[in-house]
Amino acid sequence: MNDMPEARVSDSASWFLSTARERIAGLLDHGSFMEFLPPTERVQSPHLALFDLPVAFDDGVIVGRGRLAGRDVLIAAQEGQFMGGTFAEVSGAKLLGLIRAARDNDKLPRAILLLLDSGGVRLQEANAGELAVAEVMRAIMEARMAGVAVIALVGGRAGAFGGAGLTAATCSRIAISEQGRTGVSGPEVIETNKGVEEFDSKDKALVWSVTGGRNRRLIGGADAYAEDTVSGFREAASSLIDRAPTFDLATLQAEQQRLSARVERFANCSTAAEMWRVLGITAPQSIRDMNDAAFVKIVADVKEASHDGR
Amino acid sequence: MTAPTDRTTKRAWDTAQRSRDERLAAASRYARGKIVDAADTTKLLEAIVRPGDRVCLEGDNQKQADFLASRLAEVAPAIINNLHIVQSGIVLPEHLDLFALGIAKKLDFSYSGPQSVTLARALKGGKIELGAVHTYLELFSRYFIDLTPQVALTVARCADRDGNLYMGPNTEDSPVVIEATAFKQGIVVAQVNEVVDKVPRVDVAGDRVDFIVVTPSPFYVEPLFTRDPAQITETQILGAMLAIKGIYEPYGVKRLNHGIGFNTAAIELILPTFAERLGLKGKIATHFALNPHPTLIPAIENGWVEQIHSFGSEVGMDDYMRARPDIFFTGRDGSMSSNRMYCQAAGLYATDLFIGSTLQIDLQGNSSTFTRDRIAGFGGAPNMGSDPHGRRHASAPWLKAGREASGDGHGLPRGRKLVVQIVETFGEKLVPTFVENLDSIELAKALDLALPPVMIYGDDVTHIVTEEGIANLLLCRTPYEREQAIRGVAGYTDVGRARDRKAVEELRARKVIQRPEDLGIDVLDANRSLLAARSVKDLMHWSGDLYDPPRKFRNW
Repeated sequence: MNDMPEARVSDSASWFLSTARERIAGLLDHGSFMEFLPPTERVQSPHLALFDLPVAFDDGVIVGRGRLAGRDVLIAAQEGQFMGGTFAEVSGAKLLGLIRAARDNDKLPRAILLLLDSGGVRLQEANAGELAVAEVMRAIMEARMAGVAVIALVGGRAGAFGGAGLTAATCSRIAISEQGRTGVSGPEVIETNKGVEEFDSKDKALVWSVTGGRNRRLIGGADAYAEDTVSGFREAASSLIDRAPTFDLATLQAEQQRLSARVERFANCSTAAEMWRVLGITAPQSIRDMNDAAFVKIVADVKEASHDGR
Repeated sequence: MTAPTDRTTKRAWDTAQRSRDERLAAASRYARGKIVDAADTTKLLEAIVRPGDRVCLEGDNQKQADFLASRLAEVAPAIINNLHIVQSGIVLPEHLDLFALGIAKKLDFSYSGPQSVTLARALKGGKIELGAVHTYLELFSRYFIDLTPQVALTVARCADRDGNLYMGPNTEDSPVVIEATAFKQGIVVAQVNEVVDKVPRVDVAGDRVDFIVVTPSPFYVEPLFTRDPAQITETQILGAMLAIKGIYEPYGVKRLNHGIGFNTAAIELILPTFAERLGLKGKIATHFALNPHPTLIPAIENGWVEQIHSFGSEVGMDDYMRARPDIFFTGRDGSMSSNRMYCQAAGLYATDLFIGSTLQIDLQGNSSTFTRDRIAGFGGAPNMGSDPHGRRHASAPWLKAGREASGDGHGLPRGRKLVVQIVETFGEKLVPTFVENLDSIELAKALDLALPPVMIYGDDVTHIVTEEGIANLLLCRTPYEREQAIRGVAGYTDVGRARDRKAVEELRARKVIQRPEDLGIDVLDANRSLLAARSVKDLMHWSGDLYDPPRKFRNW
């Protein structure tokens, strides 16, 4: 177990710029975090040496338990700055083990926080990574059926794309910040496959308008909008645990209905601003530059943003 | 002496004027007044350009006459060839296409930025006959002596029907290029975004402009000086703290120029935090020769900066500068006005400090951004980063540096410009910054260049700042001391590890080398919370939403 002294991370620290360890330290009640398989155990990738690449002693994923505002939770955090926060054999197994433990043991906390920060599967271990994504998605479904609330927190520099985007979509609830991004195919992947005319990955304004936190929140792709601070995500996570839906047929049907309606409603939109106009926002161009408080006010009036699905 | 009366041969004294008249006559069918239809641009260029002409195709550091560049690349090489390109910036692919297509042959330039790798390849392939790589001031000066363009292809935001041009904040090189061309009977063509009845202000008088082309889309401007605060590292913040506490404060540097890069962006962003806590407001960094760096916004807003003159502009800063005329040079119309020639001269003669980064530094302190496969050019750094021997006005920092350099205090009092190189010991991809020999020396041999390209000569450098500390080269008395002072801040690079430990400790005792702890700096304090703005959006909010960040920096 981890007996290293825990650094204090201020409530106002930027989530976007923090490391995975700083996010955990700031998010949970001080001193409550207990890490499973900490870096001292050196559970690391057996494959990276083949490519002459450096390893991380935690393989870029931190798992453990602690308290969130007094409530017991399990927690996993991806380090987006290590190889893009990727899903791989060891990091995938750590994540999977945590979720399956919650599924199988009702003595464990009934909430899991997934601090996603990943571009997807680690290409050097692609097969193991793809399997890990599939297994994690299945385990999340099973844990939810067993009554566990699985909450995704998206606001890191790598966003949540590929396997991380799929994982987020499988969770009970998703919180996202303005700088957070999520989707399946990342901007670079779309540009490589479909050309720069289809999607210019260097045009950050375009990338964020489509995949970024504000658009995701407005169209219901995320269920809470967090300020880009440790305390912002703490508040969002706490409120989402309370609002996690029961995972049953009714929820799934509601989700299916919601997504079909969304496809139909936005079918003719070619930009995010057009979608925001369809949502009834009178000045869609102002959405992006306004401050968080003004944005939260607008979200409150948008019907799509709240729903009973997922 | 009397004038000869029996001239046997009669020399013509107006050949350039006659050539100009012929060209204008050939071009007249494409123009209505001065206005040429965009579709006729290639034909216009074929009419006014002659083989072997010196052509300036701006080609600036930021703004690009991009439409004219692509049209010039379409002329028939059978008609127009062997052009001698004389322009400061080789920036667009078309600038090099001219050589690949056989339209141009010889090149004299200053800065190549994004084309540095392609340019190196073209030079090695023998496609380009290289005159020289210049500094800006040097190339502009040669426009008036031996590299005067016959044709200048310029770019402006708008023009009126008389050819008066409005360039707004991106005036940049144009006034000097057009002055040299127009008054030596050359031809000036301007691409503009629109023709208006009355320009907001006249940046170039219409009688110097021959043709106007309205382009289908606005000209390209590169946001070259925007640095995203989110990408500034703790090492860079430490370097910034060292520079402020170890150089700006003791010398009392008020008039200065910052080179481009994250190191100097870090300095700008900790003025309102770290430097403010040191009580330095008003005592340092008040007058700048500087492009309008967005990272300077928090210092401006907090009252640090008194005035800034700029070489060029920066995308998205127009409204902010318009709203801060006390700080920036603005025209009667309210918009900022830049001028690369003036600002280069100002930075050379009227500042006491230059600080900038580089890719390689050798044991004498020579630095270069040229590598084996990259010809980046010089731009303005060699002028900003040199001690101007023509300077005759005194200032406290200049005199202090001069005293340190002279040592014994005998002889005439002289001043010295502070020339600071701020680097990390290992650069991008962990390539060592400190080297035994500059790559550019190899490159000069491979390309048979008369002069190895050196950005800043070691004898002009006064200080080197790394995360390991500051080396004050003014205080070194022998070449050996100088070498050890450099090795002593070169960290774990091979150059740094080969230091003479005893010599380095002696230098430290004499304060030739100062470590962070010698300056009372705790390296653990070097963290991002010191940055007055931590993201581009923070900068926008600091500006009261007047700064409009370019799309490629809008990560929200």
